[in-house]
Parts: sequence; structure tokens; C-alpha cells
Amino acid sequence: MTGYFLEVAQALLALTLAPLLVGFVRWVKARLQNRRGAPPWQPYFELGKLFGKEVVMSNNASWLFRFAPYIVFASALAVTFLVPLVAAPLPFDGVGDLLVVVYLLLLGTFFLALAGLDPGTAFGGMGASREMTVAAIAEPTIALAIFGLALGAGSTNLGRIVTATLANPGVALSPGHLLAFAALFIVTLAETGRLPVDNPSTHLELTMIHEAMILEYSGRYLALIEWAAWLKLTIFFALLANLFVPWGLATALTPAALAVAVVTLILKFAVLGVVVAVVETRVAKLRLFRVPELLGLSFVLALLAVTSSFLLK
Amino acid sequence: MNEALFSQLSTLGSSVVLLFGLILLWRRSLHAYTDAFQWQSAVLAAMFVMIGYFGHDPELYFVAVFFFVLKVLILPHYLERMEKRFGGERESQPYVNVATSLILAGLLVLLAYAVTRPLVLVSALPTRGGLPLAMGLVFVGLFVVITRKKALTQIVGFLVMENGIALLAVLGTFGIPLIVELGVFLDVLMGFLVMQVFVYHIHGTFESIDVDQLNELRH
Repeated sequence: MTGYFLEVAQALLALTLAPLLVGFVRWVKARLQNRRGAPPWQPYFELGKLFGKEVVMSNNASWLFRFAPYIVFASALAVTFLVPLVAAPLPFDGVGDLLVVVYLLLLGTFFLALAGLDPGTAFGGMGASREMTVAAIAEPTIALAIFGLALGAGSTNLGRIVTATLANPGVALSPGHLLAFAALFIVTLAETGRLPVDNPSTHLELTMIHEAMILEYSGRYLALIEWAAWLKLTIFFALLANLFVPWGLATALTPAALAVAVVTLILKFAVLGVVVAVVETRVAKLRLFRVPELLGLSFVLALLAVTSSFLLK
Repeated sequence: MNEALFSQLSTLGSSVVLLFGLILLWRRSLHAYTDAFQWQSAVLAAMFVMIGYFGHDPELYFVAVFFFVLKVLILPHYLERMEKRFGGERESQPYVNVATSLILAGLLVLLAYAVTRPLVLVSALPTRGGLPLAMGLVFVGLFVVITRKKALTQIVGFLVMENGIALLAVLGTFGIPLIVELGVFLDVLMGFLVMQVFVYHIHGTFESIDVDQLNELRH
């Protein structure tokens, strides 16, 4: 019973941490660019503002346009139940493993692309086609990169991957793990719409991918989609932090262990947030036709991770 | 404990060397290729030192020093001189585009694993884990020579293939005798100087180092 409370608490923690994480990344980027920047809790005010506004929809939009934000938000929320955030293994591990996580993420991306196409505007179609180009190479890479870890642990169950790494600490520095981390980091930048794949703060048609798909949304729909995008960033950070550096996760459900887990989670997120902000400030956005090259590189790294952990056992 | 550490370090070193080789397929500028070759040779020299230490073979220290001087200092110096002369040309249209080359490189490494499987199974050396990666580097170097149009890229691909062969030798047999290594280094240096003369002549005749031009009957 406590397990189910833990699951719900974990999902709520992810929901509340997501805006703060995105605000923190934006704040670090601003400071690196010598600006004051909005405080890290600004996204909470953005959500509050958007929920209070009315929805303005195009007359050509169908039921899909109204339905999609809920699907995108629900799929992102569902993944937070399956990803080890503060504890591993989780009671829902029997329901969802690595492949379910990848499918749920792709479900959200798919419906977001459809919603971009639905109103029939040029921006939406362009954003949807660009997003599918990126997702076509990035999604298999997620599966392949974590598969490299799963081969070492003997199961695609995320909780079991974590316990296998905790039981055998030396494997965290093996070439398979390092290559998989590099591949997953590049995919994180691609899937969450960060530079060098997509600029999260632009509205120029030359450079938008995610923003183009959600350009028609307003009010509570926009709030849900933005929150889902921030949840995706939290999920990817959780995968990067807790699959590759799982020390600090609570293996027993005691209050002390959970408190330590929350503190180490916030620490790991802060480090990853600073790294992402530095990478975003350092690189320029890639030309769209160069993005498959970068994603091809991450695919090869994931492939090498799988071969080195499979064939070097 | 020493054995396990030695195994892991040699596999890690081989992976890093292979990753620098993959940069030749990803980047397009000649400066990036020269840099990648320099770093790869430096890591390879460090691996020679490590294998000499763990394998109790002091000859490898000398080999490492010669290797470092030749491939990190001398050859990149000449490469940079050539790059200053012809470096404005980037590898913009190879025969196989970048994304496809990267995927093919992944498949080539899988092929290398399949090919060296009997060797790895038979060998009892602690460094046998890096053998498939060294073989993969040889394949990747050859792939670069085949699919790139600029003569300088082909030269760097050839040098990377040489690095792969040296890595294969040191992992599979703990290095070859000093005399043989010196002979190989002299060969590489001579081969490189001959290739350099060729590139100057190609540039002088066609005003570009695009080897596709060699196929044209008239200009």
C-alpha cells in the first residue's frame, strides 16, 4: 500500500519540480549570457497565467486539436510513474519497463505532431514534419542506449537496471555505460527541444520545431502542453541521473532514505541543468539538414554501447 | 584485481581511439581531421605506455616515445602545413553522406566484432577486449579512404588505418619488437612524404585537391 502512495508522491514531485527545473536552466543560461534573467520560479507564474486565460481556437480545428493537449500531458505524467525518481525498484515496474516508457514518449510526440497539422496552418505543418524528422532517429536511440544498460543488467525493467548498477559499482565506468550516457545526453537535447537541435525561446520560422507545433494553442491547452514539455525534460534528466549514477536512490521505503533521495535528486538535477545550460550557451543552433548527422552520431554511440556491453560480457 | 583493471583500461582506451576515428566521418573540416588524428595518436601512445607497464615490457616505452614524436608532432606538423595551403576546401560532398557513413561505421564495428570473434575466444591475453575495436578502426579508416573526395581526407584516413593496425598489434601480441616498429614508422613517414608530393602536384594541375578531377579527361 505504501508503494502506491510512493508512486503518487513521486508523480506529484515530478509535476512540482518540472517548472522549477526549466526555470533554473533558463536562469543559468541568462546568467551565462550576462543578463539578470527571470527568477527560477517564473514558470509557475506562467502556468498560473495561462490557466486563467480563455482558449481561442481556429474554426478549422477538429476534436483532435482539443483532445491532444490532454493526451500529451497524460502520457508524460504516465511516464513519471515508471521512471525511478526517488526510489527503485518501484511497484509499477511490473506494468511498465523501458519499452513502455519509449512508447509513451513517442505517443505524446505523435499526438503533438498531429495537433500541429490539425488547424491547417503553414507553421504547424512545418513544425510537425521537422519534429518527425528528429523523432524518427531520436526515439530508437533512447531505446538502444538504455538497452545497452539493460543487457548488462539482464532485464529491460528500469528498477532492475538500477539495482544491477548499485550491486556492481565498477560497471558505471565501463565503455558501454559511458557511450550510452553520451548517446542519451544528445537525445535529451533533441527530444526536449534544446540547442543545438531546436531553440526553446525562438519564434522565427527558420528555427522553430516544438514552438511551431504549439503556435495555435492558448489558455489551458497551452499550459498543459508546456507543462508536459517541462515534464519531459524532468523525465530525461531523471533517466540520465538515476540510471547512470544511481547512488542516493532509496532502496528501502524509510523516511530517512527518501529524504536523502530527494536531496540527491535535486543535486543531480542542478548539475545536469548547469551542464545543459552551458552546452546551450556554447553551441550555435545546427542547420536543420545537419541535425540527422548529429542524431546519427548519437545512434552510432548507442549502437557501440550495445555491442560493447553485449559482446564484452 | 590488476588483471581486471588492465582489461578495463585497455577496452576504455580502445573505445576512445575508435571514437576519435569516428570524428573523421562526422566533421567536415580538414582542421578537425588533423586534430582528431593528433588526439588519437596521443591516446594510443598513452596506451603503449600502459600496456608496457602492466605487461612488464620496457621496450614498449621506447616505442611509445617514437610513436608520440612521429604521429603527434611530426606528421600533424606537415598536415597542418598542407592544410594551410589547401585547407579552405571542406569535405562538403563525399560519395556517401555523413549520416549514412555514421550508420555504416556502426555496422562496420559490428562486422569487426564478428570477424575477430574466433581470435578473442582463443586468446588468453587480458587485452583481448579491445581487439574488435582496433579491427573496427582499421575498417573505419579504410571506409574514409574509399568514400571521401579530398586527397587530404584520404591521407588522414590512411594514417588512422595505420593507427588501427598498430593498436591491433599491441593488443593482440603486446607489441612487436622495437626493430620492426622502427621499420614501420620509417615506412609511414616515407609514404606520407610521397603522398604530400602527390597532393602538391594534384593541386598544381587542377587547382583543387578533389580526386574526382583525376577522372576527367580534359579540363
